[in-house]
Amino acid sequence: MVISVSHLSKYYKVYQKEPGFLGSIKSLVSRKYETVTAVDDISFSISEGELVGFIGPNGAGKTTTLKCLSGLLYPSGGKISVLGITPWERKYEFLARIALVMGQKNQLWWDLPALETFLLNKEIYNVSAKKFNESLSELSSLLKVDQLLKTPVRKLSLGERMKMELIASLIHSPKVLFLDEPTLGLDVVMQQNLRDFIKEYNKSHHATIILTSHYMKDVESLCKRVIIINLGKIIFDGELGRLARQHAPYKLIKVILQRHIEESAFRTLGRVAKFQYPELILISPNEKISEVTSRLLKQLPIEDLTIQDPEIEDIIREIFSSKQ
Amino acid sequence: MNKYLQIAKLTWDETLVYRLNFTMWRVRVVLQILTLYFLWVSLIPSGTSLFGYNQSSMLTYILGTSIVGSIVLSSRSYVVGDEINNGNLSNFLLKPINYFLYWFARDVGDKAMNIIFSVVELAVLFAILKPPLFIQTEGLYILLAFVAIVLALIMYFLFNFLLGLIGFWSPEVWAPRFIFLVLLNFFAGGLFPLDILPKFIFSIFQLLPFTYLLYFPIKIYLGQLTIIEIFAGIMISLSWTILSYVVVKYIWRKGLLVYTAQGR
Repeated sequence: MVISVSHLSKYYKVYQKEPGFLGSIKSLVSRKYETVTAVDDISFSISEGELVGFIGPNGAGKTTTLKCLSGLLYPSGGKISVLGITPWERKYEFLARIALVMGQKNQLWWDLPALETFLLNKEIYNVSAKKFNESLSELSSLLKVDQLLKTPVRKLSLGERMKMELIASLIHSPKVLFLDEPTLGLDVVMQQNLRDFIKEYNKSHHATIILTSHYMKDVESLCKRVIIINLGKIIFDGELGRLARQHAPYKLIKVILQRHIEESAFRTLGRVAKFQYPELILISPNEKISEVTSRLLKQLPIEDLTIQDPEIEDIIREIFSSKQ
Repeated sequence: MNKYLQIAKLTWDETLVYRLNFTMWRVRVVLQILTLYFLWVSLIPSGTSLFGYNQSSMLTYILGTSIVGSIVLSSRSYVVGDEINNGNLSNFLLKPINYFLYWFARDVGDKAMNIIFSVVELAVLFAILKPPLFIQTEGLYILLAFVAIVLALIMYFLFNFLLGLIGFWSPEVWAPRFIFLVLLNFFAGGLFPLDILPKFIFSIFQLLPFTYLLYFPIKIYLGQLTIIEIFAGIMISLSWTILSYVVVKYIWRKGLLVYTAQGR
């Protein structure tokens, strides 16, 4: 096991301030602190070479977990082992083999070209000149920034800066990679490029990767396994396919009608997800699909019919809203 | 070691990016020295003396503190407080790098630049004004003054770092630092030589660390301290340096336990 987490908890102490000027004065004299539970007794393990998606709404505890895994935070309870080392100890062998990439982070030297930061990281991580040149040319051509390496960072656009941050984080070829919203702020083409790159990196370096993202596309195209977390607890851990079978054992039947008909004609066949002439979408349990389809074809004036799996995004939205 | 050299170099490069800023900063330094020079030349006309200092030793003291000050008191490590609060510290905790040495390397970059430009500027001023400065010829005093300066800059670095570490517990890192800076210049002897104060007060000052930041190295250079006084002073400042190092390490470890890596 490259990563094993058992009974991890993390609490924060946050002080509460009432709004307005009076609230500020009040908070000067006495402060109310509240303990917020960010992560509440979670356990999971990940083996070498796995690419796992970490999903959850804002404030679910994803980033906190990643910060604990990368040794930034001291856990309030539980045990973590990454590459056989407790992250919190921040040993050289640990730090030299991991990377945490966050969507909004700046390690680049603002006034200097990005190349200077890369060269500094080369020294920090003791990367040989040969290895450095290889990684740099691979990363910069893949992310299409070879022309910008000598431009001062402050002159770069947000997306370009993001790519540079990514290169800076990967120049030492980490074995374990924590990606927190890596596609944030990138255009669609770049998002796809980045996904391809992550997939490729996972394979070629046999790297273990945990990825969080709000774009379900990222997770769907990259991760076989997902861990869903909400309110600090894991509510699902397993294959993406199983998630659909377990939480959404139904399919969507999409029908295009030839002419307008009353709703009463199909209401008995299944739950109506959407009806907006000429389009009709019915939800039907997996085991009744063939029966419902044949009855639909018989009873309704149908131009076109397709059967679809529910969108992962919808399944997850349902899970979150029902568990709130 | 290479990584810290690289950091010092980048600090240097970074300063040189803003050419106008840099030039103006150097002009300010020169103007400051000129102001002090003319003030004290008119306060102590040549041949007279004030508080037991003749013109040349007073001028050397005042100009000396301003130069030593630009070396010793130019530490950026107070930024640590801001980095803790805006979460930038995370960037360093994720890497196999020593955060203390990182800031020390940045300071060394700054100081190296300060020293090089000061030497050039002073040479020019010296050639133009021909000031009656006291030139120490005894190698031992110069060496001991150098040791005292190195100790002073390490000590000041640690004090600043310690003030920055407040950031772990409170976002209000500027208020304590402001008070520290106000007291510092006075206690360190940046305004006037401390030995013109009443003996009793001065002997208390000598136990505090501040005296050793400016006053002590200059007095060694001027050759106005006995070897025993110098030795005692170095012992006291060494003790303060070691003590502050231990405290900084301890607080740093405590702070990391409550660090929340916020804002990222």
